[in-house]
Amino acid sequence: MIVKDHNELFKDTAYVEQFHGKREFENPCPEDVVHQTAQWTESADYKEKNFKREALVINPAKACQPLGAMLCALGFENTLNFVQGSQGCVAYFRSHLSRHFKEPVAAVSSSMTEDSAVFGGISNILEGLENAYTLYKPAMIAVSTTCMAEVIGDDLNSYIKSAVEKGIVPEGVEIPFAHTPSFVGSHITGYDNMMKGILSGVKGQVRVSPADSINIIPGFDTYTGNYVELKRLMSSMDVKATVLADISDTLDSPNTGRYRLFPGGTPISALKDAVNARSTIALQKYSTVKTGEFIKTVWGRDFQLSPVPIGIQNTDEFLDMVSAVSGRPVSHAIEAERGRAVDAMIDSHPYVHGKRFALVGDPDLLMGLMSFVLEMGGRPVHVLCTNGDAGFAKDAESLLRGSPFGDDATVHIGKDMWHLRSLLFAEPVDLLIGNSYAKFLWRDTKTPLLRIGFPLFDRHHLHRYPIIGYQGAINLTNWIVNTLLDEMDRKAMFTQSFDVIR
Amino acid sequence: MSTLTQQTQKMIDEVMEAYPEKTRKLREKHVRPNDPTGECGSACAVKSNVKSRPGIMTIRGCAYAGSKGVVWGPVKDVVHLSHGPVGCGQYSWWSRRNYSNGITGVDNFSAMHITSDFQERDIVFGGDKRLAKICREIKEMFPLAKGISIQSECPVGLIGDDIESVAKKMTEELGIPVIPVRCEGFRGVSQSLGHHIANDSIRDHVLGKNTLEKVTDYDVNLIGDYNIGGDAWASRRILEEMGLRVIAQWSGDATINEFAIAPQAKLNLIHCYRSMNYICRFMEEQYGIPWIEYNLFGPTKIYQSMRKIAAFFDDSIKERTEAVIAKYTPAMDAVIDAYRPALKDKTVMLYVGGLRPRHIIGAYEDLGMEVIATGYEFGHNDDYKRTYPEMKEGALIYDDITPYEFEAFAKRLKPDLVGSGIKEKYAYHKMGVPFRQMHSWDYSGPYHGFDGFPVFARDMDMAVNSPTWKLIRRKR
Amino acid sequence: MMRQIAIYGKGGIGKSTTTQNTVAALAEAGRKCMIVGCDPKADATRLILNRKAQATVMDLARQRGSVEELEIGEILLEGFLGVKCAESGGPEPGVGCAGRGVITAINFLEENGAYTPDLDYVFYDVLGDVVCGGFAMPIREGKAKEIYIVTSGEMMAMYAANNIARGVLKYANSGGVRLGGLICNSRKTDKEAELVSALAAKLNTHMIHFIPRDNQVQRAELRRQTVIEYSPEHAQCDEYRALAKKIAENKNFVIPTPLEMEELETLLMEFGIMDGEGAAA
Repeated sequence: MIVKDHNELFKDTAYVEQFHGKREFENPCPEDVVHQTAQWTESADYKEKNFKREALVINPAKACQPLGAMLCALGFENTLNFVQGSQGCVAYFRSHLSRHFKEPVAAVSSSMTEDSAVFGGISNILEGLENAYTLYKPAMIAVSTTCMAEVIGDDLNSYIKSAVEKGIVPEGVEIPFAHTPSFVGSHITGYDNMMKGILSGVKGQVRVSPADSINIIPGFDTYTGNYVELKRLMSSMDVKATVLADISDTLDSPNTGRYRLFPGGTPISALKDAVNARSTIALQKYSTVKTGEFIKTVWGRDFQLSPVPIGIQNTDEFLDMVSAVSGRPVSHAIEAERGRAVDAMIDSHPYVHGKRFALVGDPDLLMGLMSFVLEMGGRPVHVLCTNGDAGFAKDAESLLRGSPFGDDATVHIGKDMWHLRSLLFAEPVDLLIGNSYAKFLWRDTKTPLLRIGFPLFDRHHLHRYPIIGYQGAINLTNWIVNTLLDEMDRKAMFTQSFDVIR
Repeated sequence: MSTLTQQTQKMIDEVMEAYPEKTRKLREKHVRPNDPTGECGSACAVKSNVKSRPGIMTIRGCAYAGSKGVVWGPVKDVVHLSHGPVGCGQYSWWSRRNYSNGITGVDNFSAMHITSDFQERDIVFGGDKRLAKICREIKEMFPLAKGISIQSECPVGLIGDDIESVAKKMTEELGIPVIPVRCEGFRGVSQSLGHHIANDSIRDHVLGKNTLEKVTDYDVNLIGDYNIGGDAWASRRILEEMGLRVIAQWSGDATINEFAIAPQAKLNLIHCYRSMNYICRFMEEQYGIPWIEYNLFGPTKIYQSMRKIAAFFDDSIKERTEAVIAKYTPAMDAVIDAYRPALKDKTVMLYVGGLRPRHIIGAYEDLGMEVIATGYEFGHNDDYKRTYPEMKEGALIYDDITPYEFEAFAKRLKPDLVGSGIKEKYAYHKMGVPFRQMHSWDYSGPYHGFDGFPVFARDMDMAVNSPTWKLIRRKR
Repeated sequence: MMRQIAIYGKGGIGKSTTTQNTVAALAEAGRKCMIVGCDPKADATRLILNRKAQATVMDLARQRGSVEELEIGEILLEGFLGVKCAESGGPEPGVGCAGRGVITAINFLEENGAYTPDLDYVFYDVLGDVVCGGFAMPIREGKAKEIYIVTSGEMMAMYAANNIARGVLKYANSGGVRLGGLICNSRKTDKEAELVSALAAKLNTHMIHFIPRDNQVQRAELRRQTVIEYSPEHAQCDEYRALAKKIAENKNFVIPTPLEMEELETLLMEFGIMDGEGAAA
């Protein structure tokens, strides 16, 4: 049976007529005015006004702190996310993560309502912890906050202490916490706060002299494939590494016909032993600011910042760093992968060289992607980071100025995707890299889009493929060159240039 | 008490045992074996519309979701400002699939995320000054916007911002309605209060502010249809074919003008009673407009509803209605013939928002399927009363069900299909239970009307009968 | 060992004057001190800094867009005898959320190294009552462990003191904060010392010091100075020195036992501050 759904149905004459008829009641703007206005939004005049905005934010590429805190805590074994505040937020976080990962995401809230706003959220957290522990029996409950709890000034430390004293949650259950106000920073800040909260809040960490192992903190990284790749690289080098926090199973669990609330994650025992690692390497800078500071000053342990291992040079640096702190050489197998990745990039370079790029995303991701694009001879033009600060702008500028291919680039911090729309009209590019919401830019400005980042809602499985390491470089090369080639074919479709060999 | 009722009660008791005592006692009242007569009174009535318990996963959202996400969000020519921190608007950005015509960012703003992105300074010093500036900037960026709705997020209410006075000032200054909506997420217990607050803001700021040049005896409002995947359009098609004139769609693909002229209709037709009964009751009191509930899921209910609606009008409408039914019956029969064999006797568990848990039962029955359990995220007592007669005696009815309970019941009832939302979807996939999202139609639709039923049937079939489920190798 | 102390009291009771003079006395005795003003009025440091008002954390954050844009040196200033001063700042009365401003400011100071190990004392001068979570920020775990309440023999000041004790009780039960005593900043009411002592006893604490009223304090204030800086030889200085010494040596830290309203009214009636009719009305 042929069934027409929304994709085709509403093209039928009956509906076209219906839509036309409905205008009688809509009091619509005249069609020519709409048309003129649409064109005006593409103009330089509009761009100027757009960039003069001071208060209004349109289509920002960032989320809020507790989402990042949740992603962090999801990477630990038997860990339940507990969010102190309004319940609607948690519904949103869970939906948002499920839409990206296509996985179930467990989290509870303390369901604070109007009365809690007046009296504070202590009774909610006490009852909530009791319920949550009794029902889900987690080994760790990671508490973060919504802006409601933050505005009324809920004191998690004393609340949790009082829950433990009252025996609501048995001793031995870890209850680290982080204040994660959504009106400060973004999801990457929340990740950082929760990571620090967990590393500092978990009890029973026995300090001994540094062991053989190292810790690796990926940061706010939504590619489950990256975690798998990271562990593969470490095992190939025979390096004992603890990934803090490992979402590769929790957000990509095998289908066995049984649903588990807490599948996988970094073991709590490994978490407790993390303090004894010889060194901790973070793969993102802006999502590990406070965590790094904590490891250096409170733990008094070695903390090193690797460039995001996206692209060849960044991966080289990362592996050298691992090699230096672990004393293990980069394996022959990895060296061979490097050779293959470089080979792939060389083979594909003619279609990427000199191509103009626009990039939008989180600061660390952008640093990695820019580095890769420059390595391929691509030219970043618009680099837009809604949640980037002045420090990021400086880092990005210095990366771009270090390459002749970075000359055309302007870095925009604190700007949104509506700004990017104006930029793309004013100075078109060959390829736009961004998350699923960038598809509006793809449609409006007709710029080819490659989906990299978070969230990725409208394409399946992209997050399963690593973008880090040499394998990641091959994946990126594949996506970039083939998106450009698809576009080239589309444009050449009815010309003599419709080549079958490229 | 029937055996089935006893069995169901026993199952409920077992499932409830996992809770601490206080929570168990509270939760028990929300889960009952069905009494179709609804006559056993409060003793067997499902308790609803009360707070969710802290620390236990709830599927519910908040008042902001009810206002911005449901009622206001689909109004396409109004800029909906998520007023507060960035998250709420980000997570609800074009996630509901309330389709509409127009050019995004020019004369249609429903697929945009427009926010004041509160920073710490806005919390400490208040956000009112910036709000005024934002309204001006909206007017400048989107000159064709016909209004601005200010959707308040939690902090706005907590710090006591006076958005009403800013809105009033801006309405005068900008010459378009600027509508304050106090839908802070901590208000109420679910999305439901947000619906009510949004209805009230429409009543106070928009309703009756414009008039139609010509009215007819057949003017109706199509209320409580959010045009998910084009539902409202499929519904409108039927009403128009019956000879009625739909002067306003609330609020799928709506313009603010449709709200303004709505009081001139002769009849309000309400699909989602839960989210929009408030405005219907108001129009009844204020303008004497009667309202009736209808149901356009599946041919049986469609035919019934068409006749129920036609009964309000003259014979010409009644005749046309019969003609339309006659015209579509063969196509509907063909759908049933095509899909019923593969779906017959399959069982379904539902858990949706405020309407579908009861309205869509008939569509499943048309396909030979049986809904064995159902319940609402944010239903009230009146929703449950309307549900009992639709379900068999002893069937399971639950309110604000927790994912734990939902899974526990599913394990025991072994349904062939579960229909609920995105947060539940993948847990059932892991369990190997066929699942469809029944809020967003799982990115499909429409499901309403004659054009929606084939899509519904196709989707249910592909869920239940996909060969992929058989690939799962269960761990022993 | 750094001691962190929070000073609470009804608005207008003389908290800021008392705090700054006491800190001046401690500084004079060679102690390293920091004052953190937790009041949007931002007048907790002007006598130490000899200026109208210092730039506050929140005001600068508002100008720059966010606290991350601030440097610690811009808002942490040194005044009389090296006393470090910071003000949280906040909104005009009636808008926004001053309590959140306190949280933001203290977080900023902590994260930017204001709490150096060489400090002997950190004083928080906190607006009025513990009205919301933000104003309890200074007494959260890991911050001030002792509280002093400034009061006088006036009825409303005593009401407020009892109310604050109630707030302290909540935090004392869940955390380590304790009440160190009542400071009576005299308004020359009848039997003032006895009354405040009696209230203190009911609250399970003591009146740590009675500061007599002396116009020299106001004269110094007009010149934006503490009396200790303005006229170190003046007798009033010795009162603050005595208070500073008592605080330094205080061992009397308790969980307060706030009074029920009726109990408090009975007490006031005993001292003739409130007549029976007033209580009934």
